[in-house]
Amino acid sequence: MKFEDIYHTYWQKVFRLCMGYANDYAFAQDLAQETFILVWQNLAKFRNEASIGTWIFRIASNNCLRKIEKEKRLSKADLPVNLKEEERHSIEPEIQMLYKFIAELPETDRIIISLELEDVKQAEIASIVGLSEANIRVKVHRIKEKLTQKFRANEQGY
Amino acid sequence: MNKDINLKDLWQKQQVSQPNIEDIFSKVRQFNKSNLRKLIILNLMLLATSAFIIFVWYYYQPQLVTTKIGIVLTIAAMFIYLFVQNKLLAVFNKIDNSLSNSEYLQNLIILKSRQQFLQTTMLSIYFIMLSAGLALYLYEYTSRMTMGAAIFAYGITGAWIIFNWLYLRPKIIKKQQSKLNELIAKVETLSKQLNNG
Repeated sequence: MKFEDIYHTYWQKVFRLCMGYANDYAFAQDLAQETFILVWQNLAKFRNEASIGTWIFRIASNNCLRKIEKEKRLSKADLPVNLKEEERHSIEPEIQMLYKFIAELPETDRIIISLELEDVKQAEIASIVGLSEANIRVKVHRIKEKLTQKFRANEQGY
Repeated sequence: MNKDINLKDLWQKQQVSQPNIEDIFSKVRQFNKSNLRKLIILNLMLLATSAFIIFVWYYYQPQLVTTKIGIVLTIAAMFIYLFVQNKLLAVFNKIDNSLSNSEYLQNLIILKSRQQFLQTTMLSIYFIMLSAGLALYLYEYTSRMTMGAAIFAYGITGAWIIFNWLYLRPKIIKKQQSKLNELIAKVETLSKQLNNG
């Protein structure tokens, strides 16, 4: 598979995964770029034993997890949404909320829910994260419940 | 209202402009360039150290074999230390990033523990070699001094070595350890998140 094709097919997906993890536009952009640099460097090693999507999402999520080594920026969930910056990138308030609520979850849950919302099959999520499919199903269910609760609590707040 | 579809729609509505593919390639080039630069600097430092020792060897023409062993020990200490710090750690730091998250985190923990061991051990070896080298090197020159001057020279050197061993070395180790421990703890937390159903 050509790198150009991969890049065009997966940029949005990888970016959203990173954004779900970091909830910081500029940082997510960096994370996504790093992912594609890794993809570019490792493409020759890819041997079709997993689907290319699984392979890319593994690299992307591992790269996000690795950031705890340099992390100080990732505690964005505590900060109020930076309106100015978000406006520049014209993210709708509801989407901002979604990112904010996801950022409040534990790190690995952020990855799981981002993949689920990206319409990745649960069997594939299981293979990316390294848990059983049944386990993923339970986790996804719980995370969705948590997010819905947060949205409801937020609506009632106004 | 179906909450699933709602969240998914919301998620997928977010579109971002895709940076030009050339940006990625220029980042790769930048990355390669800075790696090359680091490698060159490291090699220059090693070369300069060696050149300096060789210069001392030829210029002062040491007579005793102890002096020569001392010089070699010192040079080897610096050489090994720089090499481990710059090359070996980088090699150790590589994990297959196409593993699943849980395997990746496990590997990261193992790797960091190994790195901890390597750093601590290396630092001790470095100090021992450097001290032994210095002590041997000094012997030839102090043997030509008066007794008092020789004792003074060794006393000063010994004090310096003891200071390094008892104060500087533990301090550096502690700093490295606390950084790594913190990191290992964080990675373990992530790993636990996955294993707690």
